[in-house]
Amino acid sequence: MAKQRRTTWLTGFLAILYYEFLWNLRKKKIVGLFILVFAIVTLELALPPLLDYYNGVPLTPNSNVVFDFFNRLSGIFLFLIAVATTMNTISGEFETGSITPLLTKPVSKNTIFLGKTVASFLTLLGIYAFLTVYVTVGGILIEGSQNNLQLIPLGLVGLILATMVWGSLVILLGTLSKSSLVAALGSFGVWIGVTIAGGVLGSVFGQTTILFYAPGSGATGSTGGCGPGRLEAGGAFATGTDNLGYMLMQWALNGSTTLNFCGFRFRGGATETFLASSDTIANVALRDLGVTLAYLAVFLFLSWYAFRRAQIIESA
Amino acid sequence: MAVNRLNLTVDAKQIHGFLGPNGAGKTTTIKMLVGLLTPDSGSLKILGMDAAGDKPKIRQRIGYMPELPKFPKHLTGEELLDVYGRMYGMSKEERKQKAAELLKMVGLEGRGRDKIGKYSKGMQQRIGIAQALLSDPELVILDEPSIGLDPVGMVEVRDMVKGIVRGGQTVFFSSHLLTEVQQICDHVTIINNGLTLFTGTLEDIATVAMPSRRLVLEVQKGSDSILQALKALPFATVEAKDNVYTLHLSTKDDVRADISRAVSNAGGVILKMQEEGGGLEDAFMSLVGKEA
Repeated sequence: MAKQRRTTWLTGFLAILYYEFLWNLRKKKIVGLFILVFAIVTLELALPPLLDYYNGVPLTPNSNVVFDFFNRLSGIFLFLIAVATTMNTISGEFETGSITPLLTKPVSKNTIFLGKTVASFLTLLGIYAFLTVYVTVGGILIEGSQNNLQLIPLGLVGLILATMVWGSLVILLGTLSKSSLVAALGSFGVWIGVTIAGGVLGSVFGQTTILFYAPGSGATGSTGGCGPGRLEAGGAFATGTDNLGYMLMQWALNGSTTLNFCGFRFRGGATETFLASSDTIANVALRDLGVTLAYLAVFLFLSWYAFRRAQIIESA
Repeated sequence: MAVNRLNLTVDAKQIHGFLGPNGAGKTTTIKMLVGLLTPDSGSLKILGMDAAGDKPKIRQRIGYMPELPKFPKHLTGEELLDVYGRMYGMSKEERKQKAAELLKMVGLEGRGRDKIGKYSKGMQQRIGIAQALLSDPELVILDEPSIGLDPVGMVEVRDMVKGIVRGGQTVFFSSHLLTEVQQICDHVTIINNGLTLFTGTLEDIATVAMPSRRLVLEVQKGSDSILQALKALPFATVEAKDNVYTLHLSTKDDVRADISRAVSNAGGVILKMQEEGGGLEDAFMSLVGKEA
């Protein structure tokens, strides 16, 4: 005889998380990604001291290896992690037809979407937490004691949000096209387009305002100045969405430090460097956080809307 | 427009067959019932509740097996039932017990730990039935449950469906196999081009199928007097070809004795008398043909 049961929102949500982890974690590419990431970070940690040793350079401890790790982890690396984590999230269900039995279970589409998105965040958290622990242990073993380890959680949050900007774009394209291939290739097209456009803009105009609001590496800021015809010495780093983790750590550490953005202009047949804008690291990081969250909100909202409207027309 | 003004009532604790030619709108109707498709207009009630759109509360009380179901291939049969059981809010103990019971019932005992990707089409069909019954739903909707099954599997599915109803549940299933429907259904609904052509019991369908109920009569030697005698019968129209007469009957009664008498009185000798039509297939063909 039929039994009366009731699925609460939480049981449904946890079931979707569990389903998603069974779905995501067994993917060979996720395992492959872990191995790749592990290999790259190992090389990054071990190669410089090995080369120094080979070249007879005396080894000097670097107490910022872990801190700088959050600055180095960006660009194509971040994008590839995003694609591998999210390219099947929704489109994979449509492609295999498993969306049909899933959508007929007593869990709302909103909960399914939320569960799948949160599972992507948690998968990234797992990957990055693993990497951070590895880099920290490796850094301490190879380079000695490390600075600012207390800021790692902040860096991790920023790194996950930064990756999810690309991840949410992949989810959006996957939900619209219902094809993992279109999601991966389409988002790669966007990534390469943004990267090339950013590079061209940076070469022609310098660190112009538009780069503050573009996804990816964004504008490069410097704690040094922008003298005519040259860039003055100082710490320079990207301030785009990809570097949110590092920016948040910098905010906590050097929030009041001024960051200068240098522009280029042509005068008398020569390129001249000038100070296009400047702001405190705190403000730049806050803007970076806002831009990141705005991209996330827009991409995820559009994905959610497309998923809500999806009709299972074709025979499953 | 796949479905238009479709009116369908399924009574509780019965097996209701849903028939129609390819493209009639069966799967579209079922997908609307389970929330996979949203109707452009009109109302849709299931278990007394408005069913249009995303309604988890209704799906809590329904078990659904899609036509040619597809499940995540990397999951094992047991894992699939476990994860779906979580979605129904079943306890761990309940999930384990129910999975073992259902795997046995659908003939997948001992294969529960195999990945679904390694299942044959028939086995995927069986796990599809198992997941539809997982939560002991009040209403079980099966879309072409026999597709992909061998003859033995088809018989087993029929037995399973009968078993579900014996357990107090209601089964609504679509099929293109008229014999299957005839063997297990209490009620049938026939649709075509999204319109209901018939809904009622299998006995009722005889009335609908009346125009196609016919009796083929072979006599030793055909004659004009036999033809006139048959034409005089008030319940039949007659077609003659040599010594074979086809009578289209307009009554449900057994009129073989009247026919026999009429032929004898006209000097004829009956060699063979065979009734054709009146079954589900004829009703189906008659309704669909008429509608087309």
